[in-house]
Amino acid sequence: MTGNNMGTESILLVDDNPTNLQVLYQTLESTGCKLLVAKDGETALAIAAKASPDLILLDIMMPGIDGFEVCRRLKDDPAQAGIPVIFLSALTDTKDKVRGLQLGAVDYVSKPFQPDEVIARVNTHLTIHRLKREVESKKDELENELEVVSDVQRRLLPKNLPEIAGLKLAVHYETSLYAGGDYYDIAKLPDNQWGFLVADAEGHSAPAAVMMAMTCALFRSYPEPPAEPGDLVYFLNQHLCKVADPSFVTALYVVYDANHHTLKIARAGHPPPMIYRSSDKKAIEYTCDGVFPLGIDPYEQVPVTEAELQPDDRILLYTDGVTERFNKDGKTYGEERLLRQLEANPGSQPQEQLAAIMKDVDNFANGRLADDDQALLLGIVE
Amino acid sequence: MEIDQKEENGIVFIAFKGRLDGTSAPEAEETINTIFKGESNRLLFDFEFLEYLSSAGLRVILGAAKEMKRRDGKFVLCALNSYVKEVFEVSGFGAIIPIADSVESGIKEIS
Repeated sequence: MTGNNMGTESILLVDDNPTNLQVLYQTLESTGCKLLVAKDGETALAIAAKASPDLILLDIMMPGIDGFEVCRRLKDDPAQAGIPVIFLSALTDTKDKVRGLQLGAVDYVSKPFQPDEVIARVNTHLTIHRLKREVESKKDELENELEVVSDVQRRLLPKNLPEIAGLKLAVHYETSLYAGGDYYDIAKLPDNQWGFLVADAEGHSAPAAVMMAMTCALFRSYPEPPAEPGDLVYFLNQHLCKVADPSFVTALYVVYDANHHTLKIARAGHPPPMIYRSSDKKAIEYTCDGVFPLGIDPYEQVPVTEAELQPDDRILLYTDGVTERFNKDGKTYGEERLLRQLEANPGSQPQEQLAAIMKDVDNFANGRLADDDQALLLGIVE
Repeated sequence: MEIDQKEENGIVFIAFKGRLDGTSAPEAEETINTIFKGESNRLLFDFEFLEYLSSAGLRVILGAAKEMKRRDGKFVLCALNSYVKEVFEVSGFGAIIPIADSVESGIKEIS
């Protein structure tokens, strides 16, 4: 980065006529900027590439490559496309002015020029250019910080999926833009029981990431193995209520007994699980009573719903970033499509099945980027 | 997203038209915060023309509900379409924020 400051900004003056160049030089000396000169287009491009000036005043009619061509080449080069160009020309036809501006110049001054006018315009464009650079650098800083947050967040997720006797697992997790609010976790419980948590902190970026990290910390600090879904959800809420206002976290916690193929489900504002029954080849949203999301108000009690699975049944826990994924027409992917995908490919492995689901979601979105995080956890009973 | 507001017989009416999501939530929040500078303690959201509600929209509604609770006021959401109603029910918000089928019944509920 060149990091030019006010007072040390540089301006490149380009004119093939030495007298014009001298007048221009004298006019702009008072700005306090460093002045560079070029008498033809080739030299101008060479100096621009080397010195990265903050502004270029460019004559149009010159021997060799003319000003229009110089401007075109500057704008074609990503390293120099950001340098503002002001045309300074005796061509006063409107179509020349329009052509110059269409090529990406920021201004057009007719010759003979008024020195005060040139100074005023130069100062204006230097200020705009400086502010633009500052905004870009702040944006870079913010994006870097979000990337750091995003990295930390990914490290909070389980590194590997556990090997479970009787249940094959796969997971898909993607954030929409850097840090996100989605979270999943798995707890090993006694007697081949397993706890699966999927949560979604409202919003995106840093605030959602903080809520997600809080949820993770609370889940992992639960004083005993979290085998009772209602108690765990009650506990998470009790603590998140102290910090979440006015945000909230939706959560679904499922305890699976892999020896008996039974489920216990607690739901706080989160979409219910989807279950595919291999016996009737049909997937449904498994209706379960719930409470409102975590972090709003204390619960009186948290209902728990039970279910039983059979070999080859599938269970899908997901966040609404999947079903609320938009396509270019503003339509959402929806629960129905997800249910149909969950029924497809009998006999497939969970990884293949999830890949097929995400492929279908991406096909549906048809190039429209996700504006929410997407997390899916799929289990297939052996 | 269009937001209309009026005050009649001590009730502040806010009508939402379009989508209440991450993009429009800040504008909705600003409108509501302006209203909260006053002393109104009866608030009615008219959702007849609300097409879509996301979790960011739920947060806006939750913020309004909490503020009305703080000032011991009354708050109701009216005329939700079936999609918005489903979002409300699945998310469990129906248990903490009252819903009325129509604006007329909403007015009765908070009068």
